[in-house]
Amino acid sequence: MRFRIRHTTTYQYAERVTHCYNTANIVPRNTARQRCLSNRIITSPHPSTSSQRTDYFGNESYHFEIQQPHTKLEITSESEVEMTEVSQEPELSIGLNYQDALEYLKTSTEAETLEAREFLLNSPMIKVTEPIREYAQQSFNPDQPLDDCVRDLTARIFNDFTYDPGFTVVATPLSEVLEHKRGVCQDFAHLQVACLRAMGIPAQYVSGYIETLPPEGEEKMVGVDATHAWVAYFSPEQSWQEFDPTNNTRANTQHIVTAIGRDYFDVTPVKGVIFGGGNAPELSVSVDVARLETTAGN
Amino acid sequence: MTATNAVSELTPEKLFYLKSKGLIDDAFQDDGNIKPEWQYLLNSLIELGPEALRDRLEKARRILRDDGATYNIYDQPESAGGAWELDLVPSVIGSESWATIEAGLLERAELFNLILRDIYGPRTLLRHRALPPEALFSHSGFLRACQGIQMPGEHELIIHAVDMVRRADGSMCVLSDRTQAPSGAGYVLENRTVMSRIFPSLFRDSHVHRIANYYQRLRLKLTSLAPSNDIPRIVVLTPGAHNETYFEHAHLANYLGYPLVQSGDLVVRNGYVWMKSLSGLSKVDVILRRVDDAFCDPVELRSDSHLGIPGLLDAVRSRRVVIANPLGSGVLENPILLKYLPAISSCLLGREPRLETAKTWWAGDNKDFAYIAQHLDELVIKPIYRGSNQLSIWPSELSKAEKEELLARIRQDRMQFVAQERMEKSHVPSFTGTQLEPRPKILRTFAVAFESSYTVMPGGLTRIGLNAKDRFISMQEGCPSKDTWITATEPERPLDLSVADTTLAGSDSQLISLPSRVIENLYWMGRYAERAEASLRILRTAFVLLSGEEPMSMEARRIILEAVSEITATQPGFIDAPDELLLKPDEELLLIIKDSNRVGSVRANLDALLLCADESKELLSSDTIRVINDLRDALVNLESSLAGDLASAPEEALDPLVTSLMALSGLMQESMVRDVGWRFMELGRRIERAAQIITTINTLITPVTSGRDQVQVLIAMLTSMEVLITYRRRHRARMSVERGLELVMLEANNPRSLLFQLERLEEHLHKLPQRDDKGPGLEEEARALLEASSRLKLSRLDELLEAEDNSREELSRLLTKLEQLVSLCSNAISDKYFEHRVDSHQLVNTTWGD
Repeated sequence: MRFRIRHTTTYQYAERVTHCYNTANIVPRNTARQRCLSNRIITSPHPSTSSQRTDYFGNESYHFEIQQPHTKLEITSESEVEMTEVSQEPELSIGLNYQDALEYLKTSTEAETLEAREFLLNSPMIKVTEPIREYAQQSFNPDQPLDDCVRDLTARIFNDFTYDPGFTVVATPLSEVLEHKRGVCQDFAHLQVACLRAMGIPAQYVSGYIETLPPEGEEKMVGVDATHAWVAYFSPEQSWQEFDPTNNTRANTQHIVTAIGRDYFDVTPVKGVIFGGGNAPELSVSVDVARLETTAGN
Repeated sequence: MTATNAVSELTPEKLFYLKSKGLIDDAFQDDGNIKPEWQYLLNSLIELGPEALRDRLEKARRILRDDGATYNIYDQPESAGGAWELDLVPSVIGSESWATIEAGLLERAELFNLILRDIYGPRTLLRHRALPPEALFSHSGFLRACQGIQMPGEHELIIHAVDMVRRADGSMCVLSDRTQAPSGAGYVLENRTVMSRIFPSLFRDSHVHRIANYYQRLRLKLTSLAPSNDIPRIVVLTPGAHNETYFEHAHLANYLGYPLVQSGDLVVRNGYVWMKSLSGLSKVDVILRRVDDAFCDPVELRSDSHLGIPGLLDAVRSRRVVIANPLGSGVLENPILLKYLPAISSCLLGREPRLETAKTWWAGDNKDFAYIAQHLDELVIKPIYRGSNQLSIWPSELSKAEKEELLARIRQDRMQFVAQERMEKSHVPSFTGTQLEPRPKILRTFAVAFESSYTVMPGGLTRIGLNAKDRFISMQEGCPSKDTWITATEPERPLDLSVADTTLAGSDSQLISLPSRVIENLYWMGRYAERAEASLRILRTAFVLLSGEEPMSMEARRIILEAVSEITATQPGFIDAPDELLLKPDEELLLIIKDSNRVGSVRANLDALLLCADESKELLSSDTIRVINDLRDALVNLESSLAGDLASAPEEALDPLVTSLMALSGLMQESMVRDVGWRFMELGRRIERAAQIITTINTLITPVTSGRDQVQVLIAMLTSMEVLITYRRRHRARMSVERGLELVMLEANNPRSLLFQLERLEEHLHKLPQRDDKGPGLEEEARALLEASSRLKLSRLDELLEAEDNSREELSRLLTKLEQLVSLCSNAISDKYFEHRVDSHQLVNTTWGD
């Protein structure tokens, strides 16, 4: 299935910004289940220099520098992405059980497993604590298949937590999210990553877009799709598997990945340093995910 | 000389050095005899005797002080620089044993170079299981943003420093590697300079290997790193004057001939790095960095850093600038690597390293953790990341409860700790001021990448403990250093430096331009010096007149004291003060002198002056630094000399300060090269003096008073402007306001007249470098000056002296206008030549895990 994505980030500043240096993770990357067919980035004002590279985590990172004074910064990323459907068969309780998976992770000498161990460690925004460990524990039965445990954890976060966009900001600590049982997709993803790591399972933070479907019989509105975040855990048999705790589901064709990292710090969509600008720049984000007709023969 | 010598036979005035039982001593052979390489040195020192050695020590301290050699101790912000301590007895290593050490160091530098390349490249060390993934990934020095960046040339690691000790069996053993921004090479240079000056013949006859080659090769290597083929611009990046090793940043920059810059002096534009200089932006090709890597770029690395240059990492990535050591090289300081070094070395070099490393256990490893828990007392605990400013811990010195707490801390965060065996350190003879005594030593060595291998500096920085049993040797604790002598039996063949020199000489000098920050500091140094001097003079005048034999009326008292508040800009103070305060002014006067928290006080101005001097240290001659040091001392002594009885000539206490300031201004005139820096310092001085003259006249002469008071006030003005004698010589005892005004305003030959200042200012402005974007006509600052001097010259004294309502309004109007013009001129200069930093901040706040 193909999608065209248009992602616009706008910063409106109270005062003039004389120059700025930014990095952005807004180009969909390639993964086992998605391919980025094309992309272009339009920045206003026009950058004095820009470059794109594949970063440490395999994400496409776009760097730009603006040297002309401005009060509004607008970055638009337009992409076409081809998604492969993840098998929709009924969930089967098969595969390595949790206990064996742990043993495998410790002893395997396979390169991919060794490298996955990076995602067991604390990261800039995620520190495993005792309450997190306690919360996670209930989902992990040593004799159950690992995948079932993770599915259970996903469902529990979905059920126990309330989606509340007013509650958190980027810097809300996990302890508060856990205490008040509220947050948004970023918080739930951070929490689930922390839980998985607490249980000894390598876990990644995935950031991207999710296509929202309009209610039956209604026309889809422009700009209603959203940036989204979910998780991936490392399965000894099936490599990285993605789960979305906000929607209690496996990631599928509607989950389009832009960047993968240890946590939000590694995949922040747009960050950087600005000179001037005054206090509290106003941020607005709009995302359109449109399905494309599959051409014949595809 | 052996241990059989009985101590009692020796008089205290004779030096001796004996082997102490139970200590490993570098100077002795196994049989108890002094090693041949130490013999000549020790005999010479003993022959000199303690008295002569004390003299030399004094001399050494004086030289160090005059060179401004300091090591700042963080806990003591007041001491603007702890003196650098140098022990007189060099640490000697014979050239044969050095050859073994050198070979080991070369191999180690090459090994660490390969590790660095692997870590930010293919990471085969993980795949070949030479290193557990967590050992790398849990270290904060592993900067993921640096993945894939490669240095031009054959090396990733440019400078490799090693801390090592000598063990009982005579072999050297490495404690740690320094690969981030190793400090010490600048201090080595200073130590060597001092030693060769205070022991010229001893140094010459000892055939000490020269260290100059190391720095020469460093220059060549840095030059070779430049991206373009043109003559590269290389800068030394320092965190700033508050850094503990700032002295050596400045010293090294000077020796190498590179500008010393702070992050604010550099900017990224269009993907290139530029230095802000007076002539605009100049492109920078290579940065020798002394700022820790994580702090270098707030866009991609630590976003909370104020020491960074936004966009730097991307400029490095696009190979438009090269940084040595490269960003990310701090990962090599991870002590977990030491545990796995044999495996790593086998993997990368195909053999185990020759040089031994202190045995290291990693708490992240289960077996090691168990060992650590059981053998805590025999170990030293170290955090794996130095950046968090955590120091090593000696569990044997902790109480039981503290040990348990430590273990709990380690258990909580096992990846983050290692333990090392407690190493017995060897001792070297050191001069205590009265006797030669053994002190434990640690040696830091330096290697620089050169051609296809490395060059090791012969020797390095030796540091010693404060007493014989010291286990912890830290510069932060004020431990002394030593020069390290690698001695040859034959004199060393002089190095052929001519080739290297011709490729570099001349070419660099034309490229050395100053960052505008340095110029600004010189400008303000001039202003603060003059401001402090004017304040001191009016204060001194007030003290003398108030306690003079002539009784003073309330009116005159008020005028003079108000002038003190105006000139020092410490209003309100005496302005409109009640009579009681005017009758008992001592307390306020004292505060104006010594209250460092009060803007305008003498103390605050001098503190600011010293700060500016620190910021432009690399440009100051050693004579200037000596005067600055005197000033610092006078300031420290000020408190005590002012304490106690104010009634007895308080003005005396101010004299040392005035003298130092005069010496400073004399030096500026007599021994500073007339370059751009000097001109700006002069500009600052003249502008400030002009402003002070205006204020002095305005506050003292504008009010009209009756005959006797007028005379006293006039004397006050002439005294504070240092022209009373001139006046008396010309006009005898006849005191006339008109003649006085003429002397201080219009007399072109009086170096303290207003006209004199304005004329000098015009000359200096005329000679300043002009920017390329200069338009036609007069620049704003020149226009302001021209107007000021014209108005002054066109003024008529008789008109200025006309009074209405007890006030000389015409004079006041003229002075107020002149004040505005001078200030306009100053602002125009500052707008045009100095950098105005706009505060930067983060678009998104994300935290950096530490």
